[in-house]
Amino acid sequence: MSDPITLGILALVVLVVLIAIRIPIAYGMILVGGIGIAWLNGPALLLSQLKTLAYGQFSIYDLSVVPMFVLMGELATVAGLSQALFRGANAWLGWMRGGTAMAAIAGCAGFGAVCGSSLATASTMGKVALPELKRYNYSGALATGSLAAGGVLGILIPPSVVLIVYAVIVEANIVTMFAAAMLPGILAVILFIVTIAIYVAVRPEAGPPGGASDRAEFVSATLGLLPVMVIFGLVLGGIYAGFFNPTPAAAVGVFLVWLYGLLKGKLDLRTSAAALKATARTSGMIYLILLGAELMKIFMSRIGLPQQAAAWIADSGMAPMMVMVLILVALILLGCLMDSLSMILLVIPFFWPMLLEINGGLYQETEGAGYGMSTEDLKVWFGILALIVVELGLITPPVGMNVFIISALAKDTPMIETFKGVAPFFCAELLRVALLLAFPALTLWLPRLLGG
Amino acid sequence: MFTFETAHRSGLSAAVARLVTAWALLGGVVLLAVVAINVVSVVGAVFWKPFPGDFELTEIGVAVAVFAFLPYCQLTDANVTADIFTARAPKPVLAVLRAVAALIAFGFATILVWRMYLGMLDQREYDYTTAILQVPIWWGFVPILISLALLIAAAAVTCLEALRETRA
Amino acid sequence: QEHVFKLHHFLGAKAPAQTDMLEPWAKAVEENSGGKVKIEIYPSMTLGGRPPELINQVRDGVVDLVWTVNGYTPGLFPRTEVFELPFVFKNDPAAANLAMFDMYDEYLADEYKGVEPMFLHVHAGQAFQTVDKEIHTPADVAGMKLRIPTRTGAWAIEALDASPVSMPVPDLPQALSKKVVDGALIPWEIIPALKIQDQTKYQIEGYDKVRFGTTTFQVSMNKARWDSLPEDIQKAFRDASGRDWVAEVGKVWRDIDERGIKVATDAGNTHVTLTEEETAAFAEALEPVVDRWIEDVTAKGVDGAAMVEMARKLIDENSSAMSN
Ligand code: NA
Ligand code: NA
Repeated sequence: MSDPITLGILALVVLVVLIAIRIPIAYGMILVGGIGIAWLNGPALLLSQLKTLAYGQFSIYDLSVVPMFVLMGELATVAGLSQALFRGANAWLGWMRGGTAMAAIAGCAGFGAVCGSSLATASTMGKVALPELKRYNYSGALATGSLAAGGVLGILIPPSVVLIVYAVIVEANIVTMFAAAMLPGILAVILFIVTIAIYVAVRPEAGPPGGASDRAEFVSATLGLLPVMVIFGLVLGGIYAGFFNPTPAAAVGVFLVWLYGLLKGKLDLRTSAAALKATARTSGMIYLILLGAELMKIFMSRIGLPQQAAAWIADSGMAPMMVMVLILVALILLGCLMDSLSMILLVIPFFWPMLLEINGGLYQETEGAGYGMSTEDLKVWFGILALIVVELGLITPPVGMNVFIISALAKDTPMIETFKGVAPFFCAELLRVALLLAFPALTLWLPRLLGG
Repeated sequence: MFTFETAHRSGLSAAVARLVTAWALLGGVVLLAVVAINVVSVVGAVFWKPFPGDFELTEIGVAVAVFAFLPYCQLTDANVTADIFTARAPKPVLAVLRAVAALIAFGFATILVWRMYLGMLDQREYDYTTAILQVPIWWGFVPILISLALLIAAAAVTCLEALRETRA
Repeated sequence: QEHVFKLHHFLGAKAPAQTDMLEPWAKAVEENSGGKVKIEIYPSMTLGGRPPELINQVRDGVVDLVWTVNGYTPGLFPRTEVFELPFVFKNDPAAANLAMFDMYDEYLADEYKGVEPMFLHVHAGQAFQTVDKEIHTPADVAGMKLRIPTRTGAWAIEALDASPVSMPVPDLPQALSKKVVDGALIPWEIIPALKIQDQTKYQIEGYDKVRFGTTTFQVSMNKARWDSLPEDIQKAFRDASGRDWVAEVGKVWRDIDERGIKVATDAGNTHVTLTEEETAAFAEALEPVVDRWIEDVTAKGVDGAAMVEMARKLIDENSSAMSN
């Protein structure tokens, strides 16, 4: 074991094998990282570090927003926020051809504004919208495809758990990242709706128009949207207006959604316990991955692999844009295997130093930078691009978690139909990535405007 | 409140399941307390002045809450796996793999409870406190050690259950 | 090389703390040892954990050397904290470093359990950096929300009837731009890294660069590792970390600080220097911080009053010794 690079690559292979035999990704990373450190520097060192490492990771202040946003999403689920959202969106869009599917997309976007997770968005909107789509005789492919794709908006529209974790890894400002995600998120909604419009133009029978709602229903459904707008406005608006930082903002969000559920009569001891349990599962899972990733990072740093990889890329003379595209392609491919959070945690510590090196270092200004932008901007731009491509993994075969969730809800649609239905949205996403690559301003304009 | 977790379980393992679930809910209550502290601090800052301890109480509170969630994650199989390669594997094989995963969790929790116990002694001996309220950090370690002990129990239960399935 | 050391710290590889202090020091040690020592620097917490864990890491031998902020673990270094107090530390980092050097054996050594400090130092001192408020009197500060640098910094803010706010350093620019805080009590040195000049209008310090307290740092080695080293290697470290060096470190941090304030003034910010009388008003308003500290550490069995007296005396002596 004289060659550390060989050792590092061997460790990554072992990790892939462990993941392949269904060992939880977090425990795979803990095992490989832990044994790797012990192998390199002796078990005593690892054991010493374990005295404080887990507490240190779990008490990172910037991450405290994660369980809070998870709780906010879970409360929103039991409080029936998704019904109100879908009903409101449907009153506006449902009369069009393909309109009910468009309403599902809009509903997902709305739910994404209070929930940080893609899976939660897909499943909660799926439960509400699937019966309606079926009622209007939508094709199985279009119905399930738009919901699986729409679920992705849960993470693209802030707040977003993956984005928070990314910000912590590269030491970016969370508020700036949220602002940066906003326009690309809206772009996604527009592209998805256009995709549906084109889809039903080609295959009119796939998405028949729903009936126009009467005036009373229209008004009441529209009013039903108000709470979400108020909550979203107060939470994110409050951050930008300067009332609070993200953690208190998330706390206020939890409080408001809880109040909403209470007023709607949907929250009692049983449903609150259900929301807390779901929060426990998701948050515990996220933090365990975090700990595993930290152990992997320590092991890899002690070997010197990320530094060597960064130096190698910088010396290779590859065009900066080429490197960026290769990284994004690698993330899309990895997304076929892994979940987005594990991916961000495992590979960003490798990829970010490469981009940093190419751009000219941590304090690089726009002048003379490899990517033609300051390193601070690069952090933001790359973060949004990475977020989008890792989320693509949720709708690509063979493992597309959103597709699985929607398939489980739509028992009469074969999974292959759902994958077919998702394909046009996948193309829309590729178009969006291309747009964001070509025009960094789409990402960077809003955070600059808001003075981050 | 515990029907989902105790279904298909009896005797000792049902008792563990009930305990682990109750502990996770307690962790949830701690998280709610952190939420409350932050809301109070925000309201306080708008109308009067911010509550200076919110930062450090959030750090400790979230850590305590999340550790309390870990046994429940183990019990309810919440930790993400990649299922692609094993999608067609026969049930007994999957059960063996689940047992292996539970065994890793068991070993990890055992090492961690031992190490974090020593960590707690360090924190106490060297008198680590938070900056503003001067809360001793080792107080936070006490519930965390209980969480890890429950993680050991949950891993043992899930491991035995998986092993039983290999024979079924 | 016979002896390889891993030095772990929390700032980036291009931060002046690494390029201007840690790297030259490591090079000096390596040269003193005739090439027998190699010090590998690991920036940005690359060897894992959070900044407050650095001191555990070195004590437990996870790494060999750390550079860390004493205040990350409040309660751990109560004695050294005397040098952070406003108007104990006034305006001279080199003098403070020398005073710490002189006081180490008799007054400070007790609290460095399990580690062998190579050298202790301070930065150039906390100053007010505000979004839109010019400060001339303690009354101007009353009611402001200010980010705290350290525990004693929080006490200083409280003594001025302002609200101390804790937050991670990377969150500071956003908090300033949205007026979540009205300002911060931090050295100029931080300005370029966080682009504080874009979010603030005023940088305010006392007469003759007088600051309102400072932060203490240490570069320390694992004790067992230190004890296991042959005498010539220990000497290589000691020779690189003597009085000359800590005075030099004071100068390094002064320089870093000057570069910081230049960035701010170049960007059009107002650099306010209080008059002698205005500065004296702050000295008076902040004296209770010293009393509070004495009371706090006395409860822990430290003779706080004697520490304050000694620290002030030695800082004065070293200060005048250098200006001669
Ligand atoms: Na979201
Ligand atoms: Na996939």
